[in-house]
Amino acid sequence: MASEDARYRQSTQYRLWSFSPAQLASTREKTNALARANISETLASKQSSSSSSNGGNLTAALSAPASGANTPDPPSQRHNPSTPAVPEFLTPAEELQLLNFFMVELIRACNFLELRTDMRATAAVFLRRFYVTNSIMTYPPTEMLKTCLFFGCKAEGHYPNAAKFAEQFPQTTGEQILAGEFLLCQGLRFAFDVKHPFRALEGAIMELRRYGDIDDKRISSAHSRAREILKFSPLVTDVYFHYTPSQIMLAALSLADRELAERVIHETFHHHHHDPAAEQTKETNRKGSAAAAAGEQRASRLIGVEMRDRVAGVVASCREILAREPPERLTAYWGAPESQQITRPLLRKLKKCRDPDRWDLVAYQNAKREQARQKDEDAAAARGGEHAQRGRRASLDGGGDGAVFGDVHERDVKRRKVAKTEDPFGGPL
Amino acid sequence: MSRKPSISKGGSGPASISNDDMCPVCKTIRYLNKDMEFLINPDCYHPMCSNCVNRLFNDGPNQCPYAGCHQTLRRNKFRSAFFGDLAVEREVDIRRRVAAVFNKVEDDFETLRDYNDYLQIVEDLTFDLVSGDDKTKAKAEAVLKDYERQNKAEIERNRKAGREAEEGARRRLAAEREAARQRRLDAAREAEEERLEKARSNEEALDQLARGDGTAARVQLKRRGGHRTTTQAPDTEEVTGAAGRLSIRGLKEKKKAAPESTGPYDPFAGYDYRPDRYKLRDTFANDWLNGFARDPKHATGGYDVREYYARAMFDAFSGLGVFIDDEKETGGLDMSAAEVAEFGAGMAAEQSGPVVAPSVKMEVDDVFA
Repeated sequence: MASEDARYRQSTQYRLWSFSPAQLASTREKTNALARANISETLASKQSSSSSSNGGNLTAALSAPASGANTPDPPSQRHNPSTPAVPEFLTPAEELQLLNFFMVELIRACNFLELRTDMRATAAVFLRRFYVTNSIMTYPPTEMLKTCLFFGCKAEGHYPNAAKFAEQFPQTTGEQILAGEFLLCQGLRFAFDVKHPFRALEGAIMELRRYGDIDDKRISSAHSRAREILKFSPLVTDVYFHYTPSQIMLAALSLADRELAERVIHETFHHHHHDPAAEQTKETNRKGSAAAAAGEQRASRLIGVEMRDRVAGVVASCREILAREPPERLTAYWGAPESQQITRPLLRKLKKCRDPDRWDLVAYQNAKREQARQKDEDAAAARGGEHAQRGRRASLDGGGDGAVFGDVHERDVKRRKVAKTEDPFGGPL
Repeated sequence: MSRKPSISKGGSGPASISNDDMCPVCKTIRYLNKDMEFLINPDCYHPMCSNCVNRLFNDGPNQCPYAGCHQTLRRNKFRSAFFGDLAVEREVDIRRRVAAVFNKVEDDFETLRDYNDYLQIVEDLTFDLVSGDDKTKAKAEAVLKDYERQNKAEIERNRKAGREAEEGARRRLAAEREAARQRRLDAAREAEEERLEKARSNEEALDQLARGDGTAARVQLKRRGGHRTTTQAPDTEEVTGAAGRLSIRGLKEKKKAAPESTGPYDPFAGYDYRPDRYKLRDTFANDWLNGFARDPKHATGGYDVREYYARAMFDAFSGLGVFIDDEKETGGLDMSAAEVAEFGAGMAAEQSGPVVAPSVKMEVDDVFA
């Protein structure tokens, strides 16, 4: 294994956020199914609580005339309110369609905010990763989009003020942006380092210039075109999940100028297996022949023809995916009415089937905090008077001591809470 | 902190000796009695001069002469105060008394937390005794007495253990000191022997030369040989008679062995950072970077444009041979065994979790469950 690959395999991008297409599809299906189950359950519980009160009224209302007129209760009437409780849910394919729509929205927002390339790409990848294990029906994508932008900036070392950042969007407060932040972190499995293909492209261009026999203008034009592609196409497709940054970069470069990309691959994997000249030189110094043979074997494995063909195949498949979403589609397709005709009914559908509890993130977070506080208080009360007495005694002895003891106590509770929840990284994947 | 109350200048507080030159009982002043000494009784801590003590308490117990103090005092309990501030004197006495009763050590407790709680209880009690009002004082006193009565045997045992530990520490310290002295003596003796040896061999050489057998060179040779044996002698002596200096010898051996066993320090723990697919060069053609390469603003801060080259080239070629599609499907090409196991477990959980129990919530801490 080449040392470069070994190092890439250490990254969270490889360990947590790389999937084969089949895995990704099945994960998305699972997420969708879970969201359906959860939402229909909450809707049903809401319905039943409201309908039970309704039902109570109904029976009360009915009981009065029941004594007089002997009208039987029609069963269809009872079931009527509960049947529309389960709306039509989005399918995984529709979710993906909507997600891409929101990715384009995010890119538009980035253009408006004039964010740096790495920030916008990180934000986009965050949004995409978040909605792998969370459904669009569960958490509001418009809100998460802003949170992703804000958090992507932070992940790339730019720290905007939340309130000022929110001012740039219509009807948005800093609180709304921050409400989804921890949720986002959980959804990302706390993997904040996204490896992008942009710097890789610079490296490849430097390497191309080094060859020395290529027209500089050609390289420059390929460079700018590839950059343009990298800024759009990988973000609205799944290539970040299926390919490594260098592969994505080569695919973009081959879209811009196929020959140049092939040249890079050929120059990199230049080792030829049975080189007669090399064979002869080896004959001359027999002493190091064993070591040389081992080196030869390793070289042929790392930069041999076999590897070259494999890499070329992967790059070609990545290129195919990227070619589906060239940068021109930002205006030609996503800005055109035909895409709106597809997304608008989906958005309407989403409005009906979203999770009523989690849709308002600020309220959701407040509810969570309230519950946590309640739990803390209960726990403190359960711990009994002994502790409280000590606390009182400490506070009598000196204010500082009391504060310190109180702090220790609180931290204790927090630690216990963390230990209690089985998975600090949020829900199961 | 001022020590003797008789020396202190102008004590502060009502309990301390406000006017250290006058006895508050007989009003004698130091001018008249140069050797005047103030004594206190730990029952009420009222100071008075030694003459008054003799006068009042020679005939057995008597009441304290201070107005309003109804303590009955005995002469044998009178002593001179150690601290100028009698409040401090009293607190120290109380603490000593409490510490003698509550004499547990940390080893007696299962956890540090328990030990700290115990210390807190003791401190609370002490505080009540020192600065509580009469009621709390009486209560604390009762608690202390009660505890003492109930745990008499244990207190005695702890006291003995504490004394033994102290004794052991003292003995150890003495032994160490003795060993050090012995070493110094040995070293001095050795140096002396060496000096004598040298003088003797010099004399011998001169004798030989004077006797005239052999040339000066041969004599020198002989001397060197003779010297060799003498230099060897201390070595053997060190080996045989080194029972007292074992630790020193062990130290030497360790120092010699250490570098052999571990080898040079490798900060990357055997990880190879040399690139396999590309070659890092000192310069690359890069128009927009050239400005930075020459800019003293960047160079002064320690920035080297080669850092960027390394990073860009690494990004361009790292992961080229990582085929996610295959590796993630088969569970990893180059993963270690542990990683594979973990990965497999994750996959199993992924596959079994939601399918078996579709009611599993997406979040562990669901508010509305």
